[in-house]
Amino acid sequence: MDLWLIGELAITGALVGLMYALVAVGIVLVYKTSSVANFAQGAIAMTGSYVAWAFATLMGAPLWVAIPLALVTMFGLGFVIERAVLRHMVGQPIIMIIMVTFGMEIFLRGMMPGFFGVAVKRLDLGIPQAPMFLGEMLINRAYLIGGITSAVLIVGTIVLFNSRAGIIMRAVSDDQGASWSVGIRVERAIAIAWGLAAGTATAAGILWGSTQGVDWSLSLLLMKALAIAILGGLDSIPGVLLAGVIVGVCESLATGIVDPLVGGGTRDIVASLIILMTLLVRPYGLFGREQIERV
Amino acid sequence: MTEGSASAVLECRDIELSFGGLRALKGLSFDIMPGEIFGLVGPNGSGKTSLVNVVTGFYRPQRGSVAIFGADTTRMRPHRIAAHGVARTFQNLALFRGMTVLDNILLGRHVHMGVGSGALATLFYWVWAARHEVAHRRAVEELIDFMQLQDIRDEPVEVIPLGLQKRVELARALAADPRLLILDEPMAGMNKEEKEYIARFILDAREERNTTVLMIEHHMDVVTSICDRVMVLSYGENIAQGKPLEAISEPRVIQAYLGERAAKRHVGAAA
Repeated sequence: MDLWLIGELAITGALVGLMYALVAVGIVLVYKTSSVANFAQGAIAMTGSYVAWAFATLMGAPLWVAIPLALVTMFGLGFVIERAVLRHMVGQPIIMIIMVTFGMEIFLRGMMPGFFGVAVKRLDLGIPQAPMFLGEMLINRAYLIGGITSAVLIVGTIVLFNSRAGIIMRAVSDDQGASWSVGIRVERAIAIAWGLAAGTATAAGILWGSTQGVDWSLSLLLMKALAIAILGGLDSIPGVLLAGVIVGVCESLATGIVDPLVGGGTRDIVASLIILMTLLVRPYGLFGREQIERV
Repeated sequence: MTEGSASAVLECRDIELSFGGLRALKGLSFDIMPGEIFGLVGPNGSGKTSLVNVVTGFYRPQRGSVAIFGADTTRMRPHRIAAHGVARTFQNLALFRGMTVLDNILLGRHVHMGVGSGALATLFYWVWAARHEVAHRRAVEELIDFMQLQDIRDEPVEVIPLGLQKRVELARALAADPRLLILDEPMAGMNKEEKEYIARFILDAREERNTTVLMIEHHMDVVTSICDRVMVLSYGENIAQGKPLEAISEPRVIQAYLGERAAKRHVGAAA
């Protein structure tokens, strides 16, 4: 087997994996503050890219305006989700809350194409199409920029989470009663987590939208994000970084090496296999806290 | 008891709380004066914890009013009440698991950390957190010395013994520099020596930090030795109030604890 090819597949896979991981960060953030599995994350990423596209194309804003606007709008949408939906679910069984997030996923998945039209939209970030050469390896520039941007944003989230805001969110996830008693606004902390989740998802949605176009299929990122969140440990943001690379590299190698042998289609098996294997072998993931029991 | 209410730390008027058909609190009124250690006693299910939850904003009473330092707090959310200088502990321990003793106590300082000027302030708090951090750390280290938690300051709270966990929870409450400290069974499950420690901390908190204390406690020896006044609850009603020894020897109180027949025997034996 050609080592250059394996290297190319691995590097591309790692970059793509980081872009997946940026979607997964939001799942972890929400889980960390409210112990809810956020199944709406894929559709939120998709919505974010639609919103960015709408600002850029429908309203004609330049990219450096459209992207921040989209991020802010989606951060606000995260707040709205907490206020309008989740606050009414307080005290309900956990399965109800999970189903609500899933309901939001389905709603947004239908709503956005319904509103903006089903044709694939072009979201051009101005990244040159020509690949970059690394020895004999071809690296897609969109993935290179996307992967690096994702890594920076994820590290930023880790820094934020080690700060006071993060300690507050951890406190809220540990014990809401105790958090209230020391004066923490529990709902606010959860709203910020949703806002950040929607913001990072939007960044991911924009990066993915620029490589494959903006349409409903962006919401399928949910599967990859779930695999990464579960493998990394649902409550660990650094775990997302490593798990993202693992999932990305595995997928890329499967596509590049196994596909030609079996006639294709292995890419989508990888994520589901990783979910299954993690849950069976190490349910709390690579870095998760062990007492986590519900998903 | 409307006189002298201007200076009361806590004024509860006619508190009525029901859960569905169950009336948990039936029109309770009482005041706590500055510097008092006020005991709340009564058999299981008499409404003590419900009353504490009403005072701290966790439950909303159907009727009545709560005022803390003269400000009406009846409809306030728990975090606002905490900002009013009220700190509490919980009957079943509510520590932040997975954090160290030190982090738990530091979170007690939250009300003094000036968060709350909007989401963005919280988001970017770490940019200017370092400046405040030092002062808060100093306050917390003093508390760790005071509560004799030096040996376990960096341990995760979930691995230390229950008696020490309760002490950490008390330290977290004190870290807020509360003007009103509410303790829900601070000595549950403790041996004599541990109880004496906690009693000492509560008395010292009053002397050195001018804290007023409302505490639920079942150990009558503790109640009679450190409380200035007590209120006895039974089925959500105030059945006795006053100096501890007098209040707990009232016939209605003995009856609530021991039942009617046993109470008659008890009174007979005493006579």
